[in-house]
Amino acid sequence: MENTSRWSRIKSYWNRPNHVAYIFILPSLIALLLFAFIPVVIGLGMSFFNVNIFFNGTKFVGLQNFVRFLSDSRAINSIWHTVYFTVLETPVQVLVGVLCAAALSRNTRFNRFCRSTFYIPVVCSLTAIGLVFNMLLDPNIGWFPHLLTRIGMTAPDFFGNAHWAMPTIAFLTVWKSFGVTMIIMLTAVQAISPSLYESAEMDGASRAQQFFHVTIPQCIPALGFCVLTNLTGSMQVFDQIFVTTGGGPNFKTESTVQYIYNRGFAAPYELGYASTVATVLFIIIAILAVGSNLYMSHKEQQMR
Amino acid sequence: MKRTNKHSVLSDILLIIVLISVVFPFLWVLLSSFKNEADIINYPPKLFASHYTFSNYTDIWKTIPMTRYIINTVIYAVGVCAISVTFDSFTGYALARMRFRGRTFFYYVIMVTMFIPFAITMIPLFMELSKFGMINTYAGLIIPHATTAFGIFMMRSFFVGLPEDLAEAARLDGLNEFQIYFRIMLPLAKPQLITLTIFSLMGSWNDLLYPMLMTTDQSMRTLAAGLALIGGQHITYYGPVMAGTIISMLPLFVIYMFAQKYFIQGSAMSGMKE
Repeated sequence: MENTSRWSRIKSYWNRPNHVAYIFILPSLIALLLFAFIPVVIGLGMSFFNVNIFFNGTKFVGLQNFVRFLSDSRAINSIWHTVYFTVLETPVQVLVGVLCAAALSRNTRFNRFCRSTFYIPVVCSLTAIGLVFNMLLDPNIGWFPHLLTRIGMTAPDFFGNAHWAMPTIAFLTVWKSFGVTMIIMLTAVQAISPSLYESAEMDGASRAQQFFHVTIPQCIPALGFCVLTNLTGSMQVFDQIFVTTGGGPNFKTESTVQYIYNRGFAAPYELGYASTVATVLFIIIAILAVGSNLYMSHKEQQMR
Repeated sequence: MKRTNKHSVLSDILLIIVLISVVFPFLWVLLSSFKNEADIINYPPKLFASHYTFSNYTDIWKTIPMTRYIINTVIYAVGVCAISVTFDSFTGYALARMRFRGRTFFYYVIMVTMFIPFAITMIPLFMELSKFGMINTYAGLIIPHATTAFGIFMMRSFFVGLPEDLAEAARLDGLNEFQIYFRIMLPLAKPQLITLTIFSLMGSWNDLLYPMLMTTDQSMRTLAAGLALIGGQHITYYGPVMAGTIISMLPLFVIYMFAQKYFIQGSAMSGMKE
């Protein structure tokens, strides 16, 4: 008897929404704690240690890894390559996405077909897309270099030439992911209230003026989101480089994540130093994210 | 009126150029995957071959353990999907519909994780898993992805929009909170659950770096990692790599054909600010 009443008390305690809520969120919180928050702390902490993958000879080295980073030309270069990739990829991707969204805003059959088709590359993996372009642009078997030769141009070795490799990688990344920007911008454009256009028209605004004074300001939050996710994604570029150039020729396309991978997960397996490089990248990404966020909200207020 | 026409002609030309450049690479690989190696490496390259063959598709099975890779990828993708959709909808529901102390705090704590770059967590995750002896196991592949801030965000945005009296009526009928959730709320969220399922499947199926780090054993590799390792910079035989690429893209492509609107919805959702 005693037992059942205690049981029912427990039951009624946990049946109140303000108590049971913790049970609902507990699994996610544990997972995020173990696999997001703790790893960040470990990652930042490890950058002050010498640790290898076999966990022998672990020792605290203070800022030594950061000093080493500053004179490690391959690490510094990897950051420059990553920045170069981001500078090439992000603006073009956002621009192509926005242009397609603008061109496809009306709901015709052709436009709907285009929307679905442009999204197909988004569904495929960067690995597969990387391989496709690797073969399509291959100087021996690729159709595209052949086409260029046919119209009288000399086709470069797109992935083999240090000059061309990074722009080519940026191109295939744009090709793969502009569909996301397009969909997000289309959703934003379609969410604009028609009354805004009507009142602009009554004020005598031309179509171009309407575009610049109604469409663009209304889409700034969505645009900001696209730029932000693109920036942070591009700064961690890995897959497409790994399958196309592998960082070559001569490490000329090696990205930072790839360098972290090569330092930590290939000989000499220096997880500590690799974490130092990761920490530097983390700080750069954080600055970029906060910076672009502030800039966008400033712009948004300006336009209002 | 003339201006509008000019504008639409220009945009149509742009669209057709983009359309061709999107479709052509797929068509080319699909066609080439049915050519024999001699036709593939023949110079000058021809778009169409004189005859077609399935041999690349059988060869890829001889080159790499395809069946193993496919099974691994399915277990990884479905495992992650089942667990994360369950946890995410639990959390999203609680954050949206239950008042409890610390609700806003927990919401922000969870959303912050959306901005943690994988670059900083990849080494610690590897260390955690190797301490737990979970390298080269399905558990190691799946459990760290048990929840995503994006999924929680998505489910919360949906549940927030439901009317308050729905749960109240059920409470008066004597249903407990779990029954309310499973019998009333979850069925209403079906479209969102499908979208989340698809996004989760897509994420794991296409993932390269994470499964590559957490598996060193050939027999535990996923399709993306396996393909990346044979199809890297120096390809020996093109045909089988093309066939492998097509096979790796096919499942999601088929799902996309049938469930397009859920893919689009998921992308559209991600860009929404509250």
